Amino acid sequence: MSSQQEIHFDKIISRYRSDPYDYVDMCAIHTGKVRFLVEENSEVDGVSGEWKHLPGTPLYEINRERNPKIVTSQTNGTVSTIHHELDDNFVEAGEKLLTIRHPLKKKEIIESILQDVLYIFEAPERARYFFAMDIQSRIDQKGVRSVFIKPGDEIITMSLMKRDTPVYYTGEPGIIHSVYFKPGDSVDMGVPLIGVCAEDKLPVVQKVITRVKAEWE
Amino acid sequence: MSSYFNQIQQQRSTFLTALKPGDFLELPVLEFADTPDNQSTQQQTVAKILRYGAPVGAAIEHHPRLDRCMTRLQHLMAEAEERGETLAGGTVVLADTLSGSSGRFDRAWYAPPGGIWLAMAWPDTLLPEFTQLLPFAAGLACCRTIRQYRLDCCLKWVNDLLVNGKKIGGILCRTVLSRAGEQYHLIGIGLNVNNQNFPDSLQAAATSMAGELKGSLELTEVIGRLLAELSRAMGLLCYDEELSLRRQQGCEQGRVSLLFTDWQNHCDTVGRLVEYGFDVQEKPLYRARATGFAPCGGLVMELADGSEITETGGEIRYVNSC
Repeated sequence: MSSQQEIHFDKIISRYRSDPYDYVDMCAIHTGKVRFLVEENSEVDGVSGEWKHLPGTPLYEINRERNPKIVTSQTNGTVSTIHHELDDNFVEAGEKLLTIRHPLKKKEIIESILQDVLYIFEAPERARYFFAMDIQSRIDQKGVRSVFIKPGDEIITMSLMKRDTPVYYTGEPGIIHSVYFKPGDSVDMGVPLIGVCAEDKLPVVQKVITRVKAEWE
Repeated sequence: MSSYFNQIQQQRSTFLTALKPGDFLELPVLEFADTPDNQSTQQQTVAKILRYGAPVGAAIEHHPRLDRCMTRLQHLMAEAEERGETLAGGTVVLADTLSGSSGRFDRAWYAPPGGIWLAMAWPDTLLPEFTQLLPFAAGLACCRTIRQYRLDCCLKWVNDLLVNGKKIGGILCRTVLSRAGEQYHLIGIGLNVNNQNFPDSLQAAATSMAGELKGSLELTEVIGRLLAELSRAMGLLCYDEELSLRRQQGCEQGRVSLLFTDWQNHCDTVGRLVEYGFDVQEKPLYRARATGFAPCGGLVMELADGSEITETGGEIRYVNSC
């Protein structure tokens, strides 16, 4: 089966048309007693500020050993569900507390669809990231979508407290198609850094972008 | 070469032996030892810290000239693995001069004879919370070494070494994978000791210990002191980890490490107006006032609009000399 046949455009696009939202689950960051600070249907804001330093809307407080911590929203949207039964109760780390319904923009929809096609390479830890010197110079010379990488290549440097760690690519060989960070950005663990596209899939990827751009207003 | 090696080992042992509870007691006493009034307990704690740090410099390789000390360490890792062994933690490679040295972002680093140019390998045995303090440990060790010569050295977050506002040394920390997949942390240290001539581009910003003291120093003695201080700092870091595990409390829960407390005593960043950037020389991002430190080592700053920001990477430069 060819790559093009694997993508059912109409089905995917109609899914996003009928429900153009992302549902972001907020889970307990650690054990503790939880107290909700928002109601169902509350509008919430994500982080803001030029340096993304202004926290979003406070969602809940979690208190462990008299050490209360306010957890704020990372994204904008509406609180769609809250597990009220957990309010004022002790929860385990990772327990689902509430869900935020985030309205997707056209660009986010494209990226969301592309993530089914691309190999997504995620941040191994919360740190600042920049491209390895060689990759950066190839990007500067030819543009990002001309840079071919393969497993074992040193592609990115992870920097934490002025300690630099080379990050080696572990996915399938291909072209760097999407870059989800700006060099020097602070990126949370598990957040996509780059999306890599096998060369034979490039036409499919281009088709996705063109189709969504044309059909989505 | 072996007599040079022996001299360094002798100096290192001398300065390690000279470390005593008083060298640790500026740290929070209750954290330092569970029963602070008991002198023998304090001595036992110091002995434990020094045992943790003992691998530092236990194996030293000296070269008159190298490309880069870190590259040589990586070769040593590979050679050890070819023999079915692993490189001993704390192995130090020293060179009299380097031909291919560079700083972060490939910045030029000038390493002529007269300075200390070394790199140390530490296996990835620490928990992540303590691994991220390695650059602080290296900075602290260098700063304390320089202060032993009555020079007013201060640390600029994270580990820039300044004397009278000029850079007297540099530290480079990298984490690498060996061919067999073992992870090591490499700490590269460069100290301007007797090298007093700098290229024109560095004249205004760099200084040396000999330049500040108006006289040259016995290099093996400075190396011995530095290795002893590195032992102390690495030992403190490992002991910190032990305490944290014993008390089930890490920096995320607000516990401030002994090493980081000690580091703060040597840092003059708080209160300064700073310029921040991931690569601050090439691309400064914003100005802010440094107001303190987060328990895990982040720099807390206040922006012009009064909002607060905490950075855990990147670098700063001082805007004024206040």
